[in-house]
Amino acid sequence: MRRAAWLALGAACFAAPWLVAAVVPGQQRYVLHVLIFTALFAALALSYDLVVGHVGSLSLAHPAFFGTGAYTAAILSTGAGWPFVADVAAAVAAAAVVAAVVGVPLFRLTEHAFAVGTLGLGLVAWIVANNWVEVTRGPLCITGIPKPRLGLPGGPALAVTTLPAHYWLALAALVAVVLLYRGLTTFRLGRAFHAVRDNEPLAGAAGIDPLKYRMLAFTIAAGLAGGVGALYVHYLSVMCPEEMTIALTVNLLVIVFLGGAGSLRGVLLGAVLFTALPEVLRLAPTWRLVIYGGLLLVVVVRSPGGLEGLLRRAPGAAR
Amino acid sequence: MIVGDLLEQVLHGLTLGSMYAMVAAGLALMLGVARLINFAHGEFFMLGAYAFWYGYRQLELPYAAAALLAPAVMVLFGVAYQRTVIRAILPRSWHVQLIATLATSIVLTNLAIIVLGTQPKEVPTRLSSTILDVGGFRIAWQRLLVLGASLVIFWALHRFVTRTRTGRAMRAMSQNREACAVVGVDVQRVAMVTFALSAALAAIAAALVSPLFNIFPDMGTVMTLKAFAAVVAGGFGYVNGAIAASFLIGVTEALAGSYVSYAYKDAIAFLVMIAVLLWRPEGIFGRRIGI
Repeated sequence: MRRAAWLALGAACFAAPWLVAAVVPGQQRYVLHVLIFTALFAALALSYDLVVGHVGSLSLAHPAFFGTGAYTAAILSTGAGWPFVADVAAAVAAAAVVAAVVGVPLFRLTEHAFAVGTLGLGLVAWIVANNWVEVTRGPLCITGIPKPRLGLPGGPALAVTTLPAHYWLALAALVAVVLLYRGLTTFRLGRAFHAVRDNEPLAGAAGIDPLKYRMLAFTIAAGLAGGVGALYVHYLSVMCPEEMTIALTVNLLVIVFLGGAGSLRGVLLGAVLFTALPEVLRLAPTWRLVIYGGLLLVVVVRSPGGLEGLLRRAPGAAR
Repeated sequence: MIVGDLLEQVLHGLTLGSMYAMVAAGLALMLGVARLINFAHGEFFMLGAYAFWYGYRQLELPYAAAALLAPAVMVLFGVAYQRTVIRAILPRSWHVQLIATLATSIVLTNLAIIVLGTQPKEVPTRLSSTILDVGGFRIAWQRLLVLGASLVIFWALHRFVTRTRTGRAMRAMSQNREACAVVGVDVQRVAMVTFALSAALAAIAAALVSPLFNIFPDMGTVMTLKAFAAVVAGGFGYVNGAIAASFLIGVTEALAGSYVSYAYKDAIAFLVMIAVLLWRPEGIFGRRIGI
């Protein structure tokens, strides 16, 4: 039953461009654009949830890793003319390396101090992106980032130029992140993550080195965020420092905690609600942040499990 | 003139430091007494600054009256905040507290953008536009006022916390909340006084420095970060430690801004703070019990 539901959902997601064309022919481009954002934000939120929901470290530095990947891809593809596949791989690697390097000192801090240290790191990354004009072009933004071309240099290549093609690429990235997320959080590794999150001293006593698992989750999450950043700039073809401000952290916190931290279904649900709703409601950006902030406040206070918690408590729930 | 220039920058840094210290002291008080990190504390400073601007520019009150209006308004705000948001999150885990106060800060910042606009407000006063010139060494009178007033405030705060009944109750609560309740301390009232006091400190800082800097809606975010960095480096809820660390941050920032790079001054201040935490994860003054 559950398998059948997932298969139906997967088929619907894959067929979305045709479904959209059939249902709202006039607004196909706009709806697809929203769906691409939804897929990318869902992938980013899942990577964030690996750290926040599964090893329980409240990192606020995720925009820094997203931005590292985005700028790596933007610079390599425009300045150095790297092919798409290579610059995305470099973006993943760059973000993961940055996370591994800053993670060593940051994980010496605990709880609040870790949150502040990571928030400080995020701010430093933004300041650098704004001021290191020779490399990032600062507030002038990097423009003219080429559309993705799948394939090896010299061999046959598949150019991603149309909106449906962008959508399938984003969907494929989301599926890859979902599979990785499931793999990392379900088996022995996932149990080690949860042990570290739920009772650190006990985990340590049982031979599970908390630092090792935290670093692992932090680095993988950063690499994924970097990869999403690369896809994001290849889709938009422009990268500005504003993409990596604290507003992104707030968005991710809303998605993860509105949906349900530590739950695949919850985070996916959160991402859909978060990206689709404001487009439907046509909110101004400032009001959007006011409403999200208020929503986040109410959700963490009233229903810390998010929507996932409500679903589980609902009568006749699947489990 | 190298020495004079250095001295000017150090004094500049000490003014910044006293601003951070007033905000950080309130944050440390909350952390000590209520075991709570208030990520919306920078927004107390921001709202205090707007309250001062409203009194001085819109109501055209004299400087001293406007500077007293700001803490008066913010005391009410602090109490309201404690009654609503803080009471709801106090029994919860630190994750929930952190996210809830961060969410409050986002709401306040963006409401300020909607109501007051993103255009920075300038509030020059007579003191901030007259310069004291001693043999080529120049400093705005307002900076001297900030330094002098902050010293008086820290002295008064110290007297309050160590000598008065309520202040002692605050220190006792920071050591053992249950024992306080057992011996008949009105825990709720002490928590309320703490929040009122913290909000007033942030507002006083805002009224003192607003004539020197611009007022804008998202000035709270960086302020929260710096005040928090001072609280962490000062030893997690130890008020005097937070004050000392604030001055360290202020002077680092001023020196980095004039000798290294103005654009990167905030980044440098943070990197120094992270370096301090690596050297002493428990803060410069170690973790103490109580405020």
